[in-house]
Amino acid sequence: MAKSITNIKRLEISKEEQQERDLQEVREAVTENKEAILKGIELLSALDEVGTLDTAYAFSHSKKKALKYVVDEISKDQYAQLLENLPEIVFMLGDLDVKTVRETTNRLNEGIKEMNDTAVDQKTTIFDLAKALKDPEINRSITMMMQFLKGMGRQ
Amino acid sequence: MLERDHTVVTINGKEFLADPGQNLLDLINSSGENVPQICYNESLGPIQTCDTCVVQVNGEMQRACGLKVEAGMKVQTELPQVQMAQKEALDRILENHELYCTVCDYNNGDCEIHNTMAEFGLEHQSRPFQEKPYNRDDSGAFYRYDPDQCILCGRCVEVCQDVQVNETLTIDWERQQPRVIWDNDVPIDQSSCVNCGQCSTVCPCNAMMEKGMEGEAGFLTDQEPGLLKSMIELTKKVETGYGPLFAVSDSEAAMREERIKKTKTVCTYCGVGCSFDVWTKDRHILKVEPNAESPANGISTCVKGKFGWDYVNSEKRLTKPLIRRDDTFHEVEWDEAISYVAKRMTEIKEKRGSDDLGFISSSKATNEESYLMQKLSRQIIGTNNVDNCSRYCQSPATKGLFRTVGHGGDSGSIDDIAKANLVLTIGSNTAESHPVLASRIKRSQKLFGQKLFVFDLRKHEMATRADRFYQPKSGSDLVWLSAVSKYILDQGLEDKNFIEEWVNEFDAYRESLEPYTMEYASELTGIPKQELIEVAEEIAKADKVSICWAMGVTQHMRGSDTSTAISNLLLLTGNYRREGCGAYPLRGHNNVQGCSDFGSMPNFFPGYEETTDDEVRARYEQAWNCTIPKEPGKDNHQMIEAIHAGNLSAMYVIGEDTGIVDANINYVTDAFEKLDLFIVQDLFLTKTAEYADVVLPAAPSLEKEGTFTNTERRIQRLYKSLDPLPGAKPDWKILQLIAQEMGGAWNYEHPSEIMAEAASLAPLFAGVSYERLEGYHSLQWPVHEDGTDEPLLFQEGFPFEDGKARFYPLEFELEYDTSEKYDLHVNNGRLLEHFHEGNMTYKVEGIARNTPNPFVEVSPELATERDIREGAEVKLISEAGEATGVVTVTDRVRGKELFIPMSANGKSAVNFLTDNRVDKDTNTPAYKEIAVRMEVMRKEGKSPIPPNNHRRGNPVPQISVNVENKWERNDYVFPGDQVNKDG
Repeated sequence: MAKSITNIKRLEISKEEQQERDLQEVREAVTENKEAILKGIELLSALDEVGTLDTAYAFSHSKKKALKYVVDEISKDQYAQLLENLPEIVFMLGDLDVKTVRETTNRLNEGIKEMNDTAVDQKTTIFDLAKALKDPEINRSITMMMQFLKGMGRQ
Repeated sequence: MLERDHTVVTINGKEFLADPGQNLLDLINSSGENVPQICYNESLGPIQTCDTCVVQVNGEMQRACGLKVEAGMKVQTELPQVQMAQKEALDRILENHELYCTVCDYNNGDCEIHNTMAEFGLEHQSRPFQEKPYNRDDSGAFYRYDPDQCILCGRCVEVCQDVQVNETLTIDWERQQPRVIWDNDVPIDQSSCVNCGQCSTVCPCNAMMEKGMEGEAGFLTDQEPGLLKSMIELTKKVETGYGPLFAVSDSEAAMREERIKKTKTVCTYCGVGCSFDVWTKDRHILKVEPNAESPANGISTCVKGKFGWDYVNSEKRLTKPLIRRDDTFHEVEWDEAISYVAKRMTEIKEKRGSDDLGFISSSKATNEESYLMQKLSRQIIGTNNVDNCSRYCQSPATKGLFRTVGHGGDSGSIDDIAKANLVLTIGSNTAESHPVLASRIKRSQKLFGQKLFVFDLRKHEMATRADRFYQPKSGSDLVWLSAVSKYILDQGLEDKNFIEEWVNEFDAYRESLEPYTMEYASELTGIPKQELIEVAEEIAKADKVSICWAMGVTQHMRGSDTSTAISNLLLLTGNYRREGCGAYPLRGHNNVQGCSDFGSMPNFFPGYEETTDDEVRARYEQAWNCTIPKEPGKDNHQMIEAIHAGNLSAMYVIGEDTGIVDANINYVTDAFEKLDLFIVQDLFLTKTAEYADVVLPAAPSLEKEGTFTNTERRIQRLYKSLDPLPGAKPDWKILQLIAQEMGGAWNYEHPSEIMAEAASLAPLFAGVSYERLEGYHSLQWPVHEDGTDEPLLFQEGFPFEDGKARFYPLEFELEYDTSEKYDLHVNNGRLLEHFHEGNMTYKVEGIARNTPNPFVEVSPELATERDIREGAEVKLISEAGEATGVVTVTDRVRGKELFIPMSANGKSAVNFLTDNRVDKDTNTPAYKEIAVRMEVMRKEGKSPIPPNNHRRGNPVPQISVNVENKWERNDYVFPGDQVNKDG
């Protein structure tokens, strides 16, 4: 006679046995993924050395709060201009002729190098200036700068 | 080929061949040209609200979706003014919709606004987004509406009005700021909305969204409302211009792909067999997304398929096998449970013989699992005592079809029902029991002139929609069907050519109809003679007739005969072998068809080959290396009788709550108590499981692979969305463990191997393989070796020796009626939102919230007579037992007829009232034949139907979204005209 019943006696697994089962599962996973786990340990210790681990830990721990602070802060009016500028700067970079800029930068660097090689206490007279215009290198620089001033002033 | 069969249309100077009457936008899409389109969706057809598909046609700017192709049409899609008009339309959409994609839960790569804007290359918004003066509507249980994000495309209205045909949604174009409204502008929860969820499926953006998605889909979307708002503002600041915005949000959407799993599955509720993708994140179900390629349902779902999955994660799931010891269930490990089951079954088999054990398979289990259940029974135990729950519902329909046309299944597809000129439903509450299929009929009737005749005791939704509705006396359908057939014959309206070529036994049939005069039928059924004559003439006149029937026919003492009469009528009028015609016994459970197909029946091997056929039996004996008894075994009903008679002492039941769903449950549970060994395999500790000696925790459909076969004989694959809950196992694995323990050499690694074995043995499934069923592909049996299937049966003739169908003569005698003592008739059936006995759907929070209680429907006449009102409590007493329930007074029932939903449990369970009466040919319980008397316990009280139940809503029927009202607004200018005006 099997009457209708609903009471269930749960299967009690002792804490020790459960721990043993869990441990076995982890042990198997470790054996199967030995290489990856060793690399992971190296990565963790590297992150720990530079303090990144602590920062990451603190941030994950209070991700929502932290995100709220960040969003609230940068939503303030004083950042509005900055935020609007950010993408503009990105676009500006896109518009620049990088190849020419690189050439110009090279020249600039040459100039700086020359400048640093020269003693600053040396005086330059008007005559020196006029004479310098005959120097083809200086002349080329002055011409370029004048062209630049012209282009910049163009409407 | 005739010239007029094709229409030549020029698009951007290139000529294209169009089908006559083809939608122009459809043609443009197939031509490879790219035109933006947001409101247009192939499954819905043109709605014409978004104006983004403007093109120039014969020099004039027009909406492409609003035009049908005409010969010589010249279409331009790339002219500057066309592009400007399209941009104007897109700008208007963005005035209504804020783009904060990265923090939007709808940013999953399929947002149609996002994709359209990105494809068009829209870089900047001309006019700013404007907030609307409405709050979000969060009142519903399953989805919410955000007017601020709504672009008023009207897809939701179209799907509600003309696809689901629930007619709840409209757009109020008269307001200053139009919006979508429910009924006459009430919150979602208070409306007639049935939560089919199709509005959220077709919404092109995040305006109408499943609540399960909220805060779950994105990496950054799970935030407090205030913070979310700040983040939206921030996103807009940083992402100036749409290009970068799309780049960031596309990357985020791609990351979501990694985390959200989308798995195709087949619905586990009714027999329509809807298929869809389930979106999951770990064990969390985000949403169900149907697919235009879903063969049975397209984009449609009902509330259960779309939202009814909470039961999978219910805390009540069993996770350890249980063994009864000293009237307590003890949880045990699987090893112990399996060896216990094997040992006890072996003992009983050795001591009392194989036929002392019985097996009941489940319509919730897969085809592969049904196959294994009968293999366990036949090969390992050696008995044909194996059956399934179709015994409770559909065996009579199968019988009726076997007698006449030879295949026990729907003769066509759901598409055929939609194509019919005339649909008859008999004893079927289609809109609640087969909602998605009912919607196809509702749509054809509303939009395409299909006629619908409904024969049912109850004035349910289909009855209120019907062109003709009759309420024949319970159990008398055979009589009017035969009288209509006789009338058609007498008037010479039968399809003589069809009968001549395709049907035998005509003379005997004609003779058998003699007693069924119109007078006799009218007297017995209560339907006026003139009406029956008109019905007969309409059936004879209609070109394509489909007849759908369900439990209102089968669960009677003459269920098989009535099913036969339906098939006879279809043969007489030539309504087989053609599209749009045929017999449709609507299968009730997701796999009730497949469970029988794959052999869990006492008289059939898989594919309906008889156990008594020596050649067939030899085939299985050889394959399985065993001896199988020749004589059919016991069916469900006979097994219960055998227990009482002391001839069956062990029973193994999978996924069936027999102790609730079988008729006369007192008698059934008494039998359970007498068993020596009772094994129940289920998700929960069901009423039936409470009587078990061993309970084995099974896994639901989402946690396993396999196939289901729907009412259309369509075999479809389900994939594993979730891993089984730790401790639970799929039925096929449990069956295999038991068979192995008992010495069976079973070694299936995957359900595909089980299917391969079944296909190699059963000719009906010869060509079925998992490769052919990949993804959304499906096969409708019979499936031939080369993989061709038969969506429309009998093209090559009927499966009898001479290829001809047979008329089957019938007799009638009314055996059931109410009496003086038991003066009320109790009817019962499903509710839309609760499936069957409700053990899955009551665990769905939203469903339980809207429909928490069972009830007893009482007619206004009877309520007056007995002096009771809404909320009264009554006791119903039949010859078999008694049940109590709370009354709702409704004109869905009339006179002395009552209705109790099958989901009524506890003391209201209808099967306390049913008795041992059965269909004389199949032993299906006559659930629909119960006479009771009623005792009033309380005269009135709180209504069992809460105010937020859809039955209390007020639908607002209209066709589509009334876009003309939008065009007539003073502030509306067609973008094409706007551009011309602006120059």
